[in-house]
Amino acid sequence: MDWDALRLSLSLAAWTVAILLPVSVLAGRALAYRRFAGKGLVEALVMLPLVLPPTVFGFYLLVAFGRNSPIGQFWQEMFGHQLVFTFEGLVVASVIFNLPFAIQPAQRGFEAVPRDVREAAACCGMSPLAALWRVELPLAWPGVMTAMVLTFAHTLGEFGIVLMVGGAIPGETRTVAIAIYDRVQAFDMEAAGLMAAVLVGISLFTIAVTYALSARVGRRLS
Amino acid sequence: MSLDVMARAEAPIPLAAEFRVDPGELLALVGHSGSGKTTLLRSIAGLWRPEEARVRVNGDTWLDTETGVDLPPHRRRVGIVFQNFALFPHMTAAQNVMAAMARGVAAPRVEAERLLELVNLAGYAERRPAALSGGQQQRVALARALARQPQALLLDEPFSAVDRATREKLHGEIVALRAHLNMPVVLVTHDVNEAQFLADRMVVIEKGRVLSAGSTAEVMSDPAALRAMGLRELAAMLPATVAEHSADGLTRLDTATGPLYLPRIEASPGARLRVRIMAHEVILSRARPEGLSAQNILAGRVARIVAGEGPAVLVHIAVGEDEILARITRRALADLGLAPGDTVHAILKIMSVARDHVAGAV
Amino acid sequence: MLTRIARRCLLAAAACLGLAVPAVATEAPVVAAASDLQFAVTEIAEAFRAETGHEVRLSFGSTGNFARQIREGAPFDIFMAADEQFIADLHADGFTRDAGELYAVGRVVIMVPNGSALTPDPEMNRLAEMLAAGRISRFAIANPDHAPYGMRAMEALQSRGLWHDLQPFMVLGENVSQAAQFALSGNAEGGIIAYSLALAPAVAAQGRYALIPETWHAPLRQRMALLADAGAVAEAFYAYLQSPPARRIMARYGFTLPEE
Repeated sequence: MDWDALRLSLSLAAWTVAILLPVSVLAGRALAYRRFAGKGLVEALVMLPLVLPPTVFGFYLLVAFGRNSPIGQFWQEMFGHQLVFTFEGLVVASVIFNLPFAIQPAQRGFEAVPRDVREAAACCGMSPLAALWRVELPLAWPGVMTAMVLTFAHTLGEFGIVLMVGGAIPGETRTVAIAIYDRVQAFDMEAAGLMAAVLVGISLFTIAVTYALSARVGRRLS
Repeated sequence: MSLDVMARAEAPIPLAAEFRVDPGELLALVGHSGSGKTTLLRSIAGLWRPEEARVRVNGDTWLDTETGVDLPPHRRRVGIVFQNFALFPHMTAAQNVMAAMARGVAAPRVEAERLLELVNLAGYAERRPAALSGGQQQRVALARALARQPQALLLDEPFSAVDRATREKLHGEIVALRAHLNMPVVLVTHDVNEAQFLADRMVVIEKGRVLSAGSTAEVMSDPAALRAMGLRELAAMLPATVAEHSADGLTRLDTATGPLYLPRIEASPGARLRVRIMAHEVILSRARPEGLSAQNILAGRVARIVAGEGPAVLVHIAVGEDEILARITRRALADLGLAPGDTVHAILKIMSVARDHVAGAV
Repeated sequence: MLTRIARRCLLAAAACLGLAVPAVATEAPVVAAASDLQFAVTEIAEAFRAETGHEVRLSFGSTGNFARQIREGAPFDIFMAADEQFIADLHADGFTRDAGELYAVGRVVIMVPNGSALTPDPEMNRLAEMLAAGRISRFAIANPDHAPYGMRAMEALQSRGLWHDLQPFMVLGENVSQAAQFALSGNAEGGIIAYSLALAPAVAAQGRYALIPETWHAPLRQRMALLADAGAVAEAFYAYLQSPPARRIMARYGFTLPEE
């Protein structure tokens, strides 16, 4: 059992969710309620990571943040090492490739809030921020919740992009998914099976707890 | 504290309207779907901005396209009741009402309960919208709009989503509530009878333009307006005073030209009210008839006769200073040989005057 | 109510975040090693730890992939390639400290899973027979594009004249370990993999093999080098790899050691 790898996977998933939660709420809301030129393009771009194969996407990320890119060079100057092949690099990649999972369900959640309820909130004297916190979020909550669960679970399982951008460095970027692959390659089926079982167990537990919470919230509303 | 509205637009729908509502007054914007009445209402609330518009309340400018002032809805002290109630589903009735209160309110909970009591929902404070009927939800919506202490109260077809019985009940409650409504009130409706029942002044809108405007009585006599609104289900509101209640379950009202009986109502003698008399339930007679079961016979004078498209005509009958409408066939008119200026008697069954057709006078 | 749930979620999240970034002050050096070294180098690293108390971190994969990652800035300290050319190219572009050391010469074997109709023989005659009879469905080698052991497998098959006919049935592993996985999974009749893998107990138990004549392919001259930022521990391990104890382990895994 590679505890390092498990720790890395959970940590990566947690950081990704933490960063994407405000993005999910704000971007999901903006896409749900605003009409602007190029909105269709933005929505398509958000969905892009879903459509691209992970290796292709990983490759593009490597080119965009690698040592030959402006971002990579800037990072090198600031911190003395590369952004890619580090945990931070994984977090950056993870945030990007989870965008569709984080934004789309949240957007649907916000879209489900009836228009006249939102208008009523404004006419009750609530500023847009107050309306978001007191009316829209309590009603769109299940969508945001789904978005975060999907993001968490997807990150735990992501392989191709993590491998490309992370390099599978033990203790730094070798997540559980990659460690399992490693053990299989070493013909160590026992270890691989154990880690796989633990991963599945954690994922199921997280999802179950989240949906139980979500159902509680849903019951309160009806 | 008056509300002044001017709006002009070409797209998405053509609009050209202007009106003023005084405090305590209820103005009805009447028109068919798509006439632009809801759009006008929404521009008062700040939910839509016409190309050219001005909305001023009590000296404050809410919207002026010329000077670029455009306050968002949350900065206009406006109370609005939506067609589909638009209550916050995750809050109780009391919480919904409190949501509209400004921050500085002293005892919001107490105030919320007071408002709920005002709309006849005492005891419903802890209910959620899902556990309320349509009529109850609308009352909560009204209480919520009032909680805002609005400078203008807007009602957007507030009764079209409830059934007829509930609607008529709510009409009565609105009338009773008028005493507490000391701000300008604008009601949008496609139902002429509702407008006539509730409003002091009416503005008839067709294709975004004002067809007719004025007091309710004036508009209801305007042939152009009547034609636009359709002649069906017309009624007149006749002012009367409660005289006495009789032992056999009736109440006698005194009108300008005679008594009017109806099934007993809850009102003290001396109270002034208005009675709705449906035009199609009025029978006309030249001479005062005898031996009829109908007890209500009012003398009057033919003021005007307005022809319709079908076989019916509308006869305006002056009863003292007020008016009753009678809808009869062209044939009947010809048979009676009625003309403006003739004396005529309007006959009405007691049972035709429903309790719900009585409104407290303003 | 919303704030209660939010609070709980925040606590859980903080717990997870707390697990974050390792930041071990003195990090053990990372060795990028070709997949054929999976078992041999693992043993050597353990011996190194037993002797010196120092840890090294091992990452196994295809030589070509590692070379590409190193060019992208991957922070490896030692690169043990299964080929010389990759090291030479990296050296020419300034990624390695020097031209490196030849540390072993490898061999390829044809290996079949237990129960396969194919039997292994050095000249691959049985393979040719079954191929002609249409009884081969799948045959695994490492990807010749970036795995040296894949290239050698291709050369061997070309020498035997089977390369062209075997094409439709070829399954390519991303590295030679994966090729071994495919070869022994039961879904293929067999494959050509590294000798060092075939000798590992975990692998040997799964099938039988035969050594392919080394004249049938270019030699697997495996070269390693220290990379630009390698530190003291890396240097120590690099030296250890060339010491007698390490060489004995390599010999056990079928590698031929270069003459001094």
